[in-house]
Amino acid sequence: MKRTKKIIGAVGFAIAFLFSSLIPSEVVRAEELPYDTYNYNYRENVVITPAAYVPAGSVTGQDVGTSGFNEPQDFCKAADGKIYIADTKNNRIVVLNRDMTETVRVIDSFCRNGEEDGFKMPQGVCISENNQLYVADTENKRIVVLTPEGEFVKQIDNPQSEILEDGFEFVPLKVTVDYADRVYCIAKNAFEGILVFEENGSFTGYYGTIEVKISLWEKFWKRLASKEERSKQQLYIPTEFTGIDIDSDGFVYASNIDSDGLQGVRRLNPRGEDVIQKGENKNLGGDLQFGVYGTYGGASEFVDVVYRGKGMYSLLDRKRGRIFTYDKEGNLLYIFGGLGSQKGTFTTPIAIETIGDQIIVLDANQGAILKFNATQYGSLINEAVGLRYDGDEEQAIEKWQEVLRLDENNELANTGIGKAYLTAGDNKTAMHYLKLGMNRKYYSIAFRRYRNEILSKNMSTIMTLLIVLIVAAGAYRKFFRDKVREKLGKKPIQPSKKGGLT
Amino acid sequence: MKGFFSKEKWKYAFYTVSHPMDAYYEIRHRERGCVPIAILLVILFSLSFSINRIAANFIVNDIDPLDVNATTELIAVLLLYLLFCVGNWSITCLMGGEGRLKDIVIAVGYAMTPMILCFNLGTVFSQFVTEDEGAFYGIVVALGIAYSLLMMLMGIMQVHNYTLGKTLITLFLTFVAMFIIIFVALLLFDLLNQVYNFFYSIYQELIFRV
Repeated sequence: MKRTKKIIGAVGFAIAFLFSSLIPSEVVRAEELPYDTYNYNYRENVVITPAAYVPAGSVTGQDVGTSGFNEPQDFCKAADGKIYIADTKNNRIVVLNRDMTETVRVIDSFCRNGEEDGFKMPQGVCISENNQLYVADTENKRIVVLTPEGEFVKQIDNPQSEILEDGFEFVPLKVTVDYADRVYCIAKNAFEGILVFEENGSFTGYYGTIEVKISLWEKFWKRLASKEERSKQQLYIPTEFTGIDIDSDGFVYASNIDSDGLQGVRRLNPRGEDVIQKGENKNLGGDLQFGVYGTYGGASEFVDVVYRGKGMYSLLDRKRGRIFTYDKEGNLLYIFGGLGSQKGTFTTPIAIETIGDQIIVLDANQGAILKFNATQYGSLINEAVGLRYDGDEEQAIEKWQEVLRLDENNELANTGIGKAYLTAGDNKTAMHYLKLGMNRKYYSIAFRRYRNEILSKNMSTIMTLLIVLIVAAGAYRKFFRDKVREKLGKKPIQPSKKGGLT
Repeated sequence: MKGFFSKEKWKYAFYTVSHPMDAYYEIRHRERGCVPIAILLVILFSLSFSINRIAANFIVNDIDPLDVNATTELIAVLLLYLLFCVGNWSITCLMGGEGRLKDIVIAVGYAMTPMILCFNLGTVFSQFVTEDEGAFYGIVVALGIAYSLLMMLMGIMQVHNYTLGKTLITLFLTFVAMFIIIFVALLLFDLLNQVYNFFYSIYQELIFRV
C-alpha cells in the first residue's frame, strides 16, 4: 500500500514538473539582461527586483532607410505617434513612423519669406498640441515653428527685455510648448531659469529659477577671503536645466543636474514655483548610494525627463545610464538601465520618451533609439500606480497583490495593500502590511485604531480589574501588611518615619 | 562569591538610585558597594542598549536591526568602561581624590541602573505608541540617560569628596587621559608589531639560508 502511494506520488510529481516546464514563464531571468533592475528600500539599501523593463532592440538611421544619425540631441513623440528626431550634426529633423520602421520625412530645409532656409545644429524638438513642430535651432539662435510637413510658420528669436543682460545671446537648447502655445525654452547660459515666450513670440520672462544654496561654511570662508581671492574663487551660479517636458495641465517638468544628489527634477506650476511632491526621504536625486571618485562616481546627472501620465515621470541619468521612475508622491518605482557596449545599454544617453508603456531612449554617440518594453512586473506597477492616481484603490489592490507575488519585498505594494485594508476597516491586517511597507504614518493610524478597538472592546474587563486591584491594595495596606510582616518576623513599617534603608 | 551577590548588596544598588548622595558616601566609607554587581550592571546596560536598538518599534527606531551586533557593543561598552575608570583613577590620584579604583568602578557601574530600566521600559513602551506619541518614548529614554549621567557625576563627586567644579574639571581631564591612553596603546601596539615583524623576518632569513 505504502509503495503504491509512493509510486503515485512520484508519477504525479513528474507530470507536474513536465507541465510546469511547458508553460512559458514570463519572468525574465536577471542574468540575461545587461543591467540590474533595483530599487531603494526604506533604509536606503539597494534591493534587486525583478526586471521592470527589458531591451527590445534599437533603431539607427540606416535601419529606417536614411543616413546614420550624427549626435542627435533630442526627440519627441507627436499625438499621431510619429517620432521627430533632432539629428543635430546632420542639421536636419528626421520623422519616423509610429513603429519606428521607416522614415516618413526628412526636414532639412524650409521656405521662409520666399527664401530657402535651413537648420544649424538643432538641439531641441517638440510637437505642440496644435500639431506644430518647434525646433530649437541652436546655432542660428532661434526657435523655428513649422507644420509637421515642414512648412515654415514663424520663428522666435532675439528676445528683447530689460531683465535680460546686455549682450545676452539667445542660444536655445531644449524647447516645449503648452496647451496655450506658450513656448518654454532652456537656453545656454540662462541661469535665471527657463525662458517663456507668448504665442506671438514675445519674451515674457524667466520661469522656475533654481535658487543657489550657499552653506554657512562657504559664507564664512567668503568673509575671510580678500577681494583678490574672492575674484579667483568659483562663482556661485545656479545649475541650468537640462531637459523639459510638460503635462496636459500645463505643469512643466524640468530636470537639472544636482551635484548633491538631492533634487534633480522640478515640477513647475504656471507661476514658475516648484510644486513637486517628495517622498518620505525628501529625495528626488536618483541614486541614494554611489561612489565618490572616478567617472562612475558622484550623484546621478539627469539629462532629460518625460512625463508618463498618471503623475508618473521618468528621469534619464547620464552618469550611470540609468532610468529612474517616480510616482506622483515622489516614491521611486523602479530603476533600470546601464552604460556599456552590450545591446540594451547606453554610451551617452541624451533624451527619453514614452510610447504607451514602452520607454525609448535616444543615445547621441550610438546615434540610435533604444527601445525598452515593460515586463509583467513593470506594467503591473504602472497599472497599480495609475489606478491609485485615479482613486480606484480597490482595483489597485489586485495589481499590488500580483506585484507582491513577483517581488514580496516591494514596499510600495505592501503599503498600497495596507492602505486599502485600512480604508476597509481591517486594522490588524493593515498593520501587518504597513509594517512590511515600512510606512510609519499609516501604520500609526492603523495602530491607533486597532488600539482603540481593543480598549473599547475590553473596557469593562480592564476597569473591573483596575478597581479590584485598587481595593485589594488598599485593603492590604490597611489590614494585612503589618500582620504579614509580623509573621515574617519583621518590624511593622511606620508610615510617618522617613529615611533610607540604613 | 555569595557575599558579593547577597540580598543586601542588591538592595543597596537600588537604594543608590533613590539616594545617590548618601549611598555613594557609604560605598566609599562603609564598603556597601560591590564590584561584581557593578560590572554585571554594565553588562546588563549593554544588553538593554542592544535590545532597544533591535526591538524598539520601527515607528520610533531608525536603526536597521541587521546593523546591530550585541557582542561588539558589549565589548565596546566594557572597554570604554575600563578606559573611563582607569582614566579617572589616574587623574584623581594626582588631584587629591579620595576614591580607590574599586569605588570608581562601583560609582560608574551603579549609575547604569536608571538606563537599564528606562531602555527596557522604552523598548516595551515603543510597542504601544503611534508616530505622534513617539515623543513620550523619547522622554522615557532621555530621562534614563540624564538620570544616569547625574548619578555618575554625583558618584564621582562623592567617592573623591570633591566639589562640583573640581569634579567637572577632573572629568574633562579624564577624557584627555583616555585619549592619551588610547594613543599610547596604539603606539605600543604598533611598536610591538614592528618588533614582532623584525624577529619574524630574521626567522625567515634563517629558514631560507639554513
